[in-house]
Amino acid sequence: MTPQDITKLIVRTSMKDRAAFDLLYRQTSSKLFGVCLRVLNDRANAEEALQEVFVKIWTKADRFAASELSPISWLVAIARNHAIDRIRARRQAPLAIDEALEVADPAPGPEAAALAGDEAGRIKGCLEELDKERAAAVRGAYLKGESYAELAERHGVPLNTMRTWLRRSLLKLRECLER
Amino acid sequence: MTLAEDSGPERGGDDILAAEYVLGVLSADERRQVSARIAAEPDFARMVDRWEVHLAPLAVGYPEIDVAPSVKQAIDRRLFTEQTETAGRPRLWSSLGFWRGLAAAAVAALAIYVAVPYINPPAQAPREFMVASLAADGSDVKYMIMYDAATNEIGLSHVAGERASGKDFELWMIDANAQPVSMGVIPAGTTMKMPVKEGMRGKFAAGTVLAVSVEPVGGSPTGLPTGPVVAAGDLRQI
Repeated sequence: MTPQDITKLIVRTSMKDRAAFDLLYRQTSSKLFGVCLRVLNDRANAEEALQEVFVKIWTKADRFAASELSPISWLVAIARNHAIDRIRARRQAPLAIDEALEVADPAPGPEAAALAGDEAGRIKGCLEELDKERAAAVRGAYLKGESYAELAERHGVPLNTMRTWLRRSLLKLRECLER
Repeated sequence: MTLAEDSGPERGGDDILAAEYVLGVLSADERRQVSARIAAEPDFARMVDRWEVHLAPLAVGYPEIDVAPSVKQAIDRRLFTEQTETAGRPRLWSSLGFWRGLAAAAVAALAIYVAVPYINPPAQAPREFMVASLAADGSDVKYMIMYDAATNEIGLSHVAGERASGKDFELWMIDANAQPVSMGVIPAGTTMKMPVKEGMRGKFAAGTVLAVSVEPVGGSPTGLPTGPVVAAGDLRQI
């Protein structure tokens, strides 16, 4: 499916066209499930999140026209934000040991290597300008949706240090993206 | 520490707060505050959207994973059985969602109207469409507009609000650095097309503002808007 095809399915879904919605689900649910599962790290939880994500897509498809995102990125953004809200609401307790030990890849993994295209090239290039460890933290935070509190605990630094540290990375990233 | 104190200009301001939201590092409370601002402040919502665009390529890191069939069944149960049981006609007509849906339907109908003559085009560059939803506070006039770069035509859909007798609606392109440029008097009707002057072709870009003003029949005599602007909105890429 081309991005134009996905766009058409989203527009038709906004008109409450169930056939289009079914096809949109078939074309995109495995990717959006990948998003939910990576963030929530639990299959049953991710399945419930995916249900809620598609309920949102059905009810909010008309907002797509107001976004500058590509259709698939728009869908991923809905899934990511929903999964992150969900895990934030649940995970108030301290981290499990195995999660705490899981450290972001120090070297750019296959994910980073697979980035392609204009915008992709830009974010990739800009991440490379950051310190390796910091680039990995940004990438890991994005993919896993980790909070400042979790990142601080994992790196063994106070929360505010973590904030300052990541904000500096974001400022650098912004400066690079705007060049 | 409140979110406001913590996101002052010296720490990067709203734009960095938008980045933190998109990255996903904020706490539950902070995310709730930011969501409320996204809903209420279009400028802030745009910053969030920009960061989503910047960081979207990182999503290649998410694998595709097969979903159990029971999930889609549960979605259909939630969306469609409930609806047939509880949504009677009066609720449909009074619901805000219905009117939102109608606006979206206008966009979609317009997309089909503009695109259908070319539905099987010879192989060529992908078609570029831009849409704008025009409305204004204190006015009931609403238009949906779609620009097709391939044919250099604007498709308009009249969603709501009538012109007074002896008046016409005129469409303008508003460039921040220049005077408004007339795109012509909007023909009466629910769905219509207007050609775009060749020299204007390059001016259609995301963020360009289009506006509708009330003018004497036949359009503004001065070449600039003379009546009130009753609807306006900016172009978005789709």
